[in-house]
This record gives sequence, structure tokens and C-alpha cells, in this order.
Amino acid sequence: MSTIAPEFRLSRFIASLFDIIFWILLIFSLVGLPIVFIILFYIKLPLINGQLLTPYLAMTWLADPSRSVPIIKSFIHTTFFKVAVFPGFGFAALLAAATIFIERKFLAKMQLRVGPLYCGKIEGILQLMGDGLKLMSKEIIIPAKADKPIFWIGPLLFVGTAGAFVSLIPVAPGWVVANPNVGLLAVFATIGFFPIIAVLSAWAANSKWTFIGGLRALHQMISFEIPLILSLLSIVILSGTLNLSQIVESQKHYWWIVFTPISAIVFFITIIAELERIPFDLPEAESEIVAGWLTEFSGMMYGLIQLGTYLKLYAFAGLFTVLFLGGWNGPMVWPPFPEDIVTHGITIGPVTAKFPGLPLFDQEMLNGTLWFVIKTAGVILLILLPRGVFPRIRIDMLLHNGWYKWIGLAFVNIFIALGLLYAGVLGPGGLIH
Amino acid sequence: MVDSIFLSLSVLTIGSAIAALEIRSLIYGSIALMITLSGIAGFFLLLDAPFVAMFQLSVYVGSIAVLILFTVMLVRRELIFNKIEDPRRRYAGIGLMLIIMLGIGTIIIGSGLKSVETDAPSVDYKKIGEDFLTYYSPALIVMALILTSSVIGALALARREDVTSDQRTD
Repeated sequence: MSTIAPEFRLSRFIASLFDIIFWILLIFSLVGLPIVFIILFYIKLPLINGQLLTPYLAMTWLADPSRSVPIIKSFIHTTFFKVAVFPGFGFAALLAAATIFIERKFLAKMQLRVGPLYCGKIEGILQLMGDGLKLMSKEIIIPAKADKPIFWIGPLLFVGTAGAFVSLIPVAPGWVVANPNVGLLAVFATIGFFPIIAVLSAWAANSKWTFIGGLRALHQMISFEIPLILSLLSIVILSGTLNLSQIVESQKHYWWIVFTPISAIVFFITIIAELERIPFDLPEAESEIVAGWLTEFSGMMYGLIQLGTYLKLYAFAGLFTVLFLGGWNGPMVWPPFPEDIVTHGITIGPVTAKFPGLPLFDQEMLNGTLWFVIKTAGVILLILLPRGVFPRIRIDMLLHNGWYKWIGLAFVNIFIALGLLYAGVLGPGGLIH
Repeated sequence: MVDSIFLSLSVLTIGSAIAALEIRSLIYGSIALMITLSGIAGFFLLLDAPFVAMFQLSVYVGSIAVLILFTVMLVRRELIFNKIEDPRRRYAGIGLMLIIMLGIGTIIIGSGLKSVETDAPSVDYKKIGEDFLTYYSPALIVMALILTSSVIGALALARREDVTSDQRTD
């Protein structure tokens, strides 16, 4: 496939890397080191245990694993780490970024196209980074007659709300940012903010395309919120709790999708509508109303909206996994941490490095995360799939389906769940549990 | 800690409530109303009632405020924005508010509400649900019937039989 850049030579690439390293070393030794010494000359260094804490000593202490591993371990269990890195924003943003790239390649393969190809040597793998850099370097244009405060705050609120939604999703046992007793209700409260943000930023842009798109988004999200909530009631009835972690624990032996398949189908369709994806992408129908309520956003404001959209996609897929597919439950496939490293340390030739405090993550958590990611990735692929297959449906058909069919279907599974509960088959104190 | 949160929530709620009344722009007024309603949800959270707080958010902010926004955006501005400017009305309103607040305040302070224990455990929503389904079940059934009949009534009123649509809807 590599007819794109025939002048590329691996040897030249490696040579250029060495070139860069040479210049960095040269500039550091000629400019950086003198600056460091000049600064050190004026700083009064502290005395610890009778020793002068020079930068060399500080780095030696930091490199000592018996000091650094406990620091890292305690940092992992802080709230900041949970919010910013693992079950929170960083993890979700990583999955969202992977989703964007996989979506483009996946749809291209489905439609017998190539997809991103030029950027990065292997199958255009750096395309996403290029897009991000482009969005960041673009100018943010505010329409002259726009309502500036709302227009500015719209994308931020969108990402913030999506992040709040992400924080409610439990990834592994005990690994969730916020674990309220009314977790499912918190999800409903959070997704209620999306239509407000959409319609407000659409109104603030003062353009007919955005306004039509915003009103469509409002119609669609409001009408599909009701079947969404109703389809989840059967899960609440069967598991007897609103806490998302406890719902996952209640699926230790079987997944709820076995007993509530109709709810799962309704919920799946409603999340496609809530995410404004094809075949329900009326709010941003690009062949009718330019880009819908996103028309006037440019540069990084558009980037933020896209980030929020994909965070929302991850959160909805994670919610589907948590509620219907058993969350982190799965057979233990993750290998245990080798005991030798904990007791004897790592021996390389004459050097033995001991790491007291390892392992950083326990086996259960890693296994749970693995299963959660596998299931969520499957659900995300299923959500992406209709985009390559279906055309967009009309708004009256959409609303008709939303108000008549999905609400009715959602009720069907509530009655099935109630029947199973009162027959004493499932639920708290049932035959199977 | 709770006191500072309570104070800031109060300032936010009352301030945005006043803003919702006073701001000229209808959109900003409805945004201020949303902030007020969210602030009330914050009060419920402080009172150890997350269940009510989440419903406050999803019903009032998620539905009612959206309905108000929707109405504001779709109705022409001149029709609903009659300018009746009279400072005496405002002073009368402030005076009335002060009188009502004084009256309610004296009643509450005189009622011995201060001696109520505040360390009592919060009521579990599961207990409320159980009570609803056992002791208060007649009231629940009556409420359900009223709601169902109002939904059916709304559907019947919204149904337009004079319009025959040529478009296929399914």
C-alpha cells in the first residue's frame, strides 16, 4: 500500500532521530546545565539528616523503589487519580480516542473504502493526533450576533456533563469515581442536562441551521428519555437496588440480558437516539442543515463538543455493560503477579532490585477491567455499526416510534420482570440468585 | 463545612431566583430559574435525601426548565412581553414578601422546631416505598388513577381528528 511516500527511507528516518538526539544533548550541555548551576548557586539547599539535599541526592532517593513505590501506590488510591486518570477522565478519553479512530477505519472497511491512510505509516494511525493538532491550531470564530456567554460556555458544559456521566460508571470492583446509592437516578439526572445544553448553544449561535438542529435535538432527546428510563426499571425491579456497583454484583451468575432482552433492545435503540448517531442523527443531519446545532462551532470549541460526544458514547456503552452484560464479572484470566518479584526482587546480572509494596493493582481489579473493556468495546462497535448500514429516518417517524413503540415495548419487559419477581424466581430471595 | 456550603447554596439559589424575576432577557431568566432549581436539589443533598435531589434535577431541571425554554424560544417575544413598569408594584411586592417572611419566621421559631434532633438517621427511600405499597396503597392507587386519567385526557385533547395526513408515518 505504500505508494504514498515513495521517497521514505527507514535509514533516513533513524538518522534524523539521531540528529535530533544529538542537538538536544548539545543544547542541554551548553545551555541547560549552566542555567541549572546558576540557579543552584542562588538557592539555599535544605539539610536533611545531616546531609545537604542536593538534586543528585533527591534523585537518588526518588529512584529508590522502597521509597517511590509506596508513594505511587498511595497516589493511585487518591480521589484525584480516580477522577483524572483511571476510572475517570483519562481512561474514558483514551477509549473515546480509540473509538474515533476505530470508527473511521471500521466504517471504511464496511463500505469498501480505505479510511485514514496517509498520516502515520501504518494504516493512518496518527490521523487522530493530526486532527487534534489541527483543531487546536484553528481560530475560534464567534458569530457577530451570537450570544457570547452562552456560546462560550456551551462546549465546556457539554464536556463537563459528559465527564459527570463517566464518573458514575463502575469499571472494576471498588473502582468508580462516584458511587451514590441512587446511581441510576443520578444517571437520569445527568443525561437530562444534554438537551438543555444543545438547545441553548443552538439558540446562542443565532443561525437558522443551529436553531433547527437544536430544536430537533430537544425533541429527540426528550422523547427518547422516557423509554430509556422505563427500559431500565426492569433491571431495578430484578436487582432491587439503584446502586450501579450493586447491580453489577447482582449479576455474578447470570447477566440480566437473559431475562430482559426486550429492555436491552429498547435501551440500545434509545442510546443511539440520545447519542444522535445514524439512523437518528437528525440534530446534525449534514445533508439538510449543514451540521445542525454544531454548525457555528469552530476550532477547539468543536473539538470539545466532539470529545464530549465520544465520552458520552463510552459512558452509555459502559452503562449498557454494567446493567445488562454483567459489568466486570467474568472468568479469571489475568495471570497472578509473580511471587518471585515480591519476595526476591528482580535480578539482572550482579544487580538485584527490590520493590517492596508491589503489586500496584491487585489481580481482581485488572481482570475486572479487562472484562469491562472487552464488553464495552463490543457494545461500542455495535453502536458504530448502524452508521455504515442505515439511512437517516424522518423526524415524524422518529417521534412516532419514540412515543408509541418504544414506550410500549419498555412496559412489556417491566411486566415480565414483575412476573418473575412475584413468581419467586428472581430477585431478592428468589430461586435463582 | 456544611455551613459554608449551605450559605453559598442559599446565596446562589436566592440570587438566581431574584435574577430570574428581574432579568430582561427571557432566556437568561430561564437559565437563572434552572440554577435556582439545581440549588434546591443541592439543599436536598445537604439534607441527606439524594433520592429527592436526583428527582429534583431530572424532573425540574431536565423537564420543566426545558419546557419553559422551549416555550420561550417558540413564542414570539412581543406577545408575552407586556411592559408594565410601575415602581409602586415592586415596593408593594417587597413589603408583602417581608410581611410573609416575618409571619412564617415567627411561627417557625415559636413552634419549637429548634429542639428537633438533627443527628437522626436519614429515612431510607426503600422504607418510603414499602410504606407506599402497604399502608398507603389506597392513596397510591388513587394517585395512579388520577395521573393515568390526566395522561389519557392530554392524549385525547392533543389528538387532532380533523387533520388527515397524506404522509406515511410508518
